[in-house]
Amino acid sequence: MRHVLWMAVFAALTAVVFGSAQKGSDRQRLMYGLKVFGEFILVAFLLGWILYFIPFR
Amino acid sequence: MVANRVEKGRDMPTPTRAWLVGLIAWVVPGAGHLMQGRWLRGALAGGAVWVMFFLGLWLGGHMYAVGGQSGFAALLQLLPMIANVGVGFLYFVCWIANAGFAEHAQIVTYEYGNTFLLVAGLLNYLVMLDAFDIAAGRKR
Repeated sequence: MRHVLWMAVFAALTAVVFGSAQKGSDRQRLMYGLKVFGEFILVAFLLGWILYFIPFR
Repeated sequence: MVANRVEKGRDMPTPTRAWLVGLIAWVVPGAGHLMQGRWLRGALAGGAVWVMFFLGLWLGGHMYAVGGQSGFAALLQLLPMIANVGVGFLYFVCWIANAGFAEHAQIVTYEYGNTFLLVAGLLNYLVMLDAFDIAAGRKR
C-alpha cells in the first residue's frame, strides 16, 4: 500500500508541473495535468500486473 | 502561417531579462514565475518541485556528486548529478552542509527517495525553461 501511495504522490506532483508548463488556457492546463496523472497511474498498474506474471525466480 | 510566426520568433533577439529570469528560476524553484507575476503557476510548479525534493530526502534518498571517482565511475555519477543540480540552491546548501549525500539503502523507500530527488531537479529544468519562455515572450 505504501508503494502505491508514493507512486500516486509522484504522479500528482509531476502532473502539476507538466500541467503548469503546458500552453493554452487554465482549463486546458488542468485537463492536461489530470490526463498525465491518470496515465501515470494507469501505466503503473498495467506494468505492475505484467511484472506480476513474469517469474523472476 | 504558424511556420511564419515561428520564423519571426526565431529572428527576435532574446531579451537579457529572459536569461536573468531563467537563472533565477533555476536557482530558486518557482521564483522565475513569481518575479513575472505568475503567482499561481509559480506556486504550483515551484511548490511541486520543493515538495518533491524534501519528500525525496525524507524518504531516505540521496543526491549524487562527482568526486572521489575517476574514469567511467565518475561518468556514472555525472548524469544523476546533473539531474540533482536542477533544484538549484537547494543542492548546494545540502552540499555545503554535507547533508543528503549518504546512502540509506536499508530504508524501504530509499529508491523512491532517489527517484523523487532526481525528478525534482529535472522538473525544475522544465519550470526554468517555462519561465524563460514567458520572459522571452514566446509563451503567455
